[in-house]
Amino acid sequence: MVGPIYIIAVALGLAFVMGLFGKSLKNLSEWAMLAGLGFMTFVSGQWLLEFMNNTRAVETIFTAGFKPPYSINLQMGIQEAFFTFIINVVGLLGGIYLFKDLKQTGPNAMMVFLVFVMSLNVVVMTRDMFNLFVFLEVGSIATAGLILLNNNGNALQAGMKYLIATGIISSILLVGIIYAYYFSGSLNIDDILAANLGASKVTVIAVFLIYVSVLLELKPFPANGWGIDVYTAANPGIGALVSAASASASLFVLYKLASLGGAEWLNYIAIIGGITFVGSNLIGTKQESPNRLLGYSSIGQIGLLTMIVGLSNILGEKMIFIASGILISHYAAKAGLFWLSGIINAKDIKGWAALRKSPFLLFLFGTFVFALIGFPPFPSFFGKWELIMTLATGGHWAWMVTILVGSFIEGIYLFRWLGYAIKLDHDELPDFKIEWNKIFPVWIMAIVLYAVGVYVSPLTEGGMFINYLPLMFVLFLFAIDFLPIYIKNTVSIGGIIWYMFHIYPVLENDLLRLIFAGIFLIGGVLTLMAGYNKKGTRKGFYPMAMMMYAGLIGIIESSSMLEFFFSWELMTAGSYFLIIRGKRSLPHGYSYMLFSIGGAYAILFGFGLAFASGFDTSLAALGDINILPTLAYSLLAVGFMTKTASLGLHIWLPGAHGEAESDVSPMVSAILLKAGVFGLMLLFLYMDRASAGANNLWYVLGWVGALTTLVGNMSAAFQEDAKRLLAYSSIAQLGYILFALSIMTHLGWLAGFTYTINHFLFKAILFLVVGGIVVKLGTHNMYEMGGMIKKMPFSFIAVLISIIVIGGIPPLSGFAGKWLFYNAILEKGWYFQGALIFFSGIVAFLYLYKLIHSIFLGQLKDNHRTVKEISAWILVPSYILIIGIMIFSAFPHWILKPIETMIAPYFSSQALMWDGTKALTSYGYWDGTTIMIVVGTAFVLLLTWLIVLSAKAKKIEQFNIVFAAERPFRPETTHVSYNIYAGYKKALGFVVAPGITIFWNVVSTFVLEVANWFRRIYSGNMQNYALHVVLYIVVFYLIALGGF
Amino acid sequence: MEYIAISTGFALMLLGLWGILSQKNLIKIVLGFTIFDTGINIVMVSIGYVKGKAAPILDVINASEAANKIVDPVPQALVLTAIVIGLGVTALMLVYVLKLHREKNSLDINSFKDLKW
Amino acid sequence: MDYSITKFLWTLLGLFIVTNWGMLMSSTMRRINARVSGRIGIPWYQPWIDLVKLYSLRTQLTHGTMFYIGPVFRLMGGVGMFLFIPMVYGNPIWSNYSFSGDLVLILYFQFFGMLGMALGASEGGQPYSAIGISRGLSQFTTIEVPMTLAVISLAIQYQTLSISEIVAAQQGGITTWTMWTNPFATVAAMLSLLGAFGHSPFNLVKAPNEIPIGPPTEYHGTFLGVLRTNGAILHVAEAALFMNLFFGGAGSWFELIIKTFLIYFWSVFVGTVFPRFRIEQSVRWFLKVPTIIGIIAIILFL
Repeated sequence: MVGPIYIIAVALGLAFVMGLFGKSLKNLSEWAMLAGLGFMTFVSGQWLLEFMNNTRAVETIFTAGFKPPYSINLQMGIQEAFFTFIINVVGLLGGIYLFKDLKQTGPNAMMVFLVFVMSLNVVVMTRDMFNLFVFLEVGSIATAGLILLNNNGNALQAGMKYLIATGIISSILLVGIIYAYYFSGSLNIDDILAANLGASKVTVIAVFLIYVSVLLELKPFPANGWGIDVYTAANPGIGALVSAASASASLFVLYKLASLGGAEWLNYIAIIGGITFVGSNLIGTKQESPNRLLGYSSIGQIGLLTMIVGLSNILGEKMIFIASGILISHYAAKAGLFWLSGIINAKDIKGWAALRKSPFLLFLFGTFVFALIGFPPFPSFFGKWELIMTLATGGHWAWMVTILVGSFIEGIYLFRWLGYAIKLDHDELPDFKIEWNKIFPVWIMAIVLYAVGVYVSPLTEGGMFINYLPLMFVLFLFAIDFLPIYIKNTVSIGGIIWYMFHIYPVLENDLLRLIFAGIFLIGGVLTLMAGYNKKGTRKGFYPMAMMMYAGLIGIIESSSMLEFFFSWELMTAGSYFLIIRGKRSLPHGYSYMLFSIGGAYAILFGFGLAFASGFDTSLAALGDINILPTLAYSLLAVGFMTKTASLGLHIWLPGAHGEAESDVSPMVSAILLKAGVFGLMLLFLYMDRASAGANNLWYVLGWVGALTTLVGNMSAAFQEDAKRLLAYSSIAQLGYILFALSIMTHLGWLAGFTYTINHFLFKAILFLVVGGIVVKLGTHNMYEMGGMIKKMPFSFIAVLISIIVIGGIPPLSGFAGKWLFYNAILEKGWYFQGALIFFSGIVAFLYLYKLIHSIFLGQLKDNHRTVKEISAWILVPSYILIIGIMIFSAFPHWILKPIETMIAPYFSSQALMWDGTKALTSYGYWDGTTIMIVVGTAFVLLLTWLIVLSAKAKKIEQFNIVFAAERPFRPETTHVSYNIYAGYKKALGFVVAPGITIFWNVVSTFVLEVANWFRRIYSGNMQNYALHVVLYIVVFYLIALGGF
Repeated sequence: MEYIAISTGFALMLLGLWGILSQKNLIKIVLGFTIFDTGINIVMVSIGYVKGKAAPILDVINASEAANKIVDPVPQALVLTAIVIGLGVTALMLVYVLKLHREKNSLDINSFKDLKW
Repeated sequence: MDYSITKFLWTLLGLFIVTNWGMLMSSTMRRINARVSGRIGIPWYQPWIDLVKLYSLRTQLTHGTMFYIGPVFRLMGGVGMFLFIPMVYGNPIWSNYSFSGDLVLILYFQFFGMLGMALGASEGGQPYSAIGISRGLSQFTTIEVPMTLAVISLAIQYQTLSISEIVAAQQGGITTWTMWTNPFATVAAMLSLLGAFGHSPFNLVKAPNEIPIGPPTEYHGTFLGVLRTNGAILHVAEAALFMNLFFGGAGSWFELIIKTFLIYFWSVFVGTVFPRFRIEQSVRWFLKVPTIIGIIAIILFL
């Protein structure tokens, strides 16, 4: 066991010896430094290991042979071991990263580097107040020295600002220490803490001065211009150290001193942290420079952690877990991002598109971004989860809102940045060199994130049940990503099929989940089949698709709220990457992500309320929410509705689905949206039906659903882009489902299920086929198509059948939904909403006709004369789905009867009866099988009659018509499609005026403008920054002690 | 006496702070900073001062009765350390000023506002 | 549920009666129209002559498969309506196959023929067809609003969606008819009917002189014959539906003929008086007075 004092001794000794190295040894100094850092890492790591195995007690090191207060003492407990370890690790990795830069500057720089890391170690370990001051100062001086590594004007200015600001701050700290000594008679931290200085009006000045200076070291918003400039101008390698190591050490100082003043002061700390978290992230939204953006993000994250320290009384014993989860994510991700920034060396975040030249770097970038936001499986996910749950338990709503709002704002810029990297054109961007010593540390940090995430998950309640099997499969697909499509596709399909067999016995007795599992998994196989159509390797597609399916099936399987949320986020991440793959999908993937995070946070808040109600972590907790139940229900509903794209939350969908790749559209439309439906179903079943709040919510959601259908259908009618038309149609269909579920009766839910199943079947067909046609014809615009019935008869039939189902025309299964709707609405008494629903249903015919007419009928274009039928790989899954439609149409009772039995226990009256194949309600009756027989027979008879009458009908050529007294010859002038509903638009177009899009645009512009306004305080003038620091002290004084 | 010292100390601190915040010349700002430091040092010493007692130097006073006869030695020790640190910081600042001057040939603080927002 | 051959033959007879009555009704209406304009008009047997002529024309041209079967869809729409509506009250023979579904089935089966026709006509590539269809669909969305409201009002009133039961509830003299007991729903539905029959001022779809005859422009010979046959059946079927819902149904074929004639006459009567609307006028018109009346019809039963 090597004593912790050797960390200091070795660093100091080595730094000293380096100065004596002659020329011959100069080349060795680099390795000597790394060896020293390695040794320091080893020592702290060894201690950490011992503590984690519980084989050691806390070790106190006394210097000079005296006990405190007569000497300085250091302490090595598990927390110190943890902090020194992470500091030394990033120090070592940072040393490797800066290998060449340090070598260029010479041994002096290495000495400073060693002293820098050493000082942070001491800051963490020391239990002496003055010693703390000294080593904070040493750290500052060393930082200012390291900033000079980038020997340019900007770095100089930043360093100067840093020196002035930290000079003032540390002076204040010094005064505070002197007062603390004066009042307590000791410099030992434990003695000072025991003196309870916060109790007296006189001694409290010491508390104030120490807190304010320690907080200022953490760069609180807005007195942090000096800190941001350092991040901006210093070498990113230094930025990584400041962000990951210095900030961690400063944070630990705050933690050490947390009990200095008492509960009231903790409140101030929490508030300051909260303001910093939100404010700093807000300003980040307007930032374009990568390093500066990382600076804002760093400060924001540290603000969050400051807040957590401030909330330590509330969080209790959970605090350590929460803080370390978030800290580790920040630490690893931020170091990794700074290092990446150093490799790419771009002035603008748009320049990060160059990352695509090396897909592995892109993978790393994605990992860091998702870790920062708090996605699974990263430690921050579990940290944030526990944080929200614990805060909810205490009823601290304002803090929960602060955290979620701040995190959301962080998402705004991080995902914009990630989107740029994934999508922007990178051909003209300069190449960057990839050196082993720069990549290696980044990799280590990414591995740390994954490993720690998986390691900590069982430490949360319910976390141990998380099924990592699907994630392993995703990882495996990453590993074989270089293989050609057909292999990966087969592997993926195989994986899903295997999982079907695996999960069937589990869900056998749970029809609700079985239905959705069927939609997700069978749908998965069928939509993946279309992938055989593509050529090449399709890099990154399969892992992401499988991640989405893993999330989807995880949602089904989950029994606890944590598992559910874990899977929900996993699905969001996977689908985000799928959606953004489309050629023009950058803005759409972005808005999808923002709505998804917003929705996820609403869900998280709702789960928090559920957990707080009964300390139950299982999903059943949703069943007895007694704290603010209406709010909880509403938040959960809104969260799920971001996925079902209900009115108001729908604006991401048309672009996201419309621009996605041809086989991604059916995945995200026919399958993914159902996750929101599943969420709503779960929620509705658990909601307290006796409460007025729940019933009011259902009433509102009923109207929302009805209006969604109207707006969706009418918007679809005015689209010229075939896939956008289908996307709007999805919005409308999901509106029907929301409406049906909100009815909350036996019949309403049957209608909801019918619509869910139907939408899955026909939307998968439509997106598959239309997607295939769009690719084949090279245009999304329907008016550029036409006459395809002759070229693609199988596609035509598939689309025709889907259309009949959407329209609800008997005898196909769509009618079942309409019929159930009529009965459900009459039974419920929602007549006007119902009338709106039926009106929308007829409006749907406008787009249905437009779709099939513009693509398949009308005039064939000259450039399409040689087009052939779309690939069989698209048609085969489509026809399998058509078989499904046919079965559902002819024998609806096969599917509806079991569903009915399943939902019967939840609803008081079983309103639907069966008489053989005939369905009966108190209002009416319907016999799907008979209708099929009657219509089928009659149709065949009539067709025979016509064939008999006109057997000799002669096929004629295109244009064999007379239009406006002339025989036309140009298809473009003869194909009626563009703006075909002009008159209708004139009459009712106001319904689809883009009010909601404008609303969201105004909101986003407002946020960005507020950010823009606030960031003017960062004027660049170092005197202003010093003034900010002084003013911060004054204002804090006035608020905390001045009686304000 | 101790009030004079401590008041002087705070006055110097304020003076230094005023210098840091108002002067446009970088050298003057650094000077303001050293005045600020000096003020703090005086405050520290005066806080440790006990009326009528001698300096904590054991050569002069008998070690056995030192505890009753000397002022608190700790603040004085701290001041010594603080002076050293202040020296280091001031030196580093001056190096920065020098380099900044080379960069833009100016000592006016307003010419170094390249980093903002 | 009776799937027997006898039932089938009786239904076929019913269809024959309805078709002929429909043709007679249309020639009568055209004569009335002519008299209003001061002309004599066609002989009453003109539709039969037309039909025979159309079915025996030699020229039979087709633009493709969908074009070919479009008229079959259309005719199926009309025949289906007939099949699912009970024609004569209290007589299982003449209630056809209405045991397969209720009023909702009828409302949605209308679309069967419309869709098939629209697709068939579209394949012809004639711009007038597409324009006519787009007008028809646009107009139809709002025509259905007062109709839907009226149906909901009716369902609340009678607590059923079964046509037979609605008719049964109206047996007992004119004061038990819906027309009397629920006048607002009746008015709303009858205004909606004007659009459904497509006479002036709502004759935008076929709009003579404007887009020749709209969707069926390209249809000729046998195809047009099928469409004409359908027209005859459909008019009677729709009128019979209204008769069942609002005017006490029919106890005999004679009653059916009188009532359907009057219902059909209502739309012809309005048509001779008013000129044609523009598309946006027509679309908005149904959302104004008829919709308000429909809403009142529901509010009265809340």
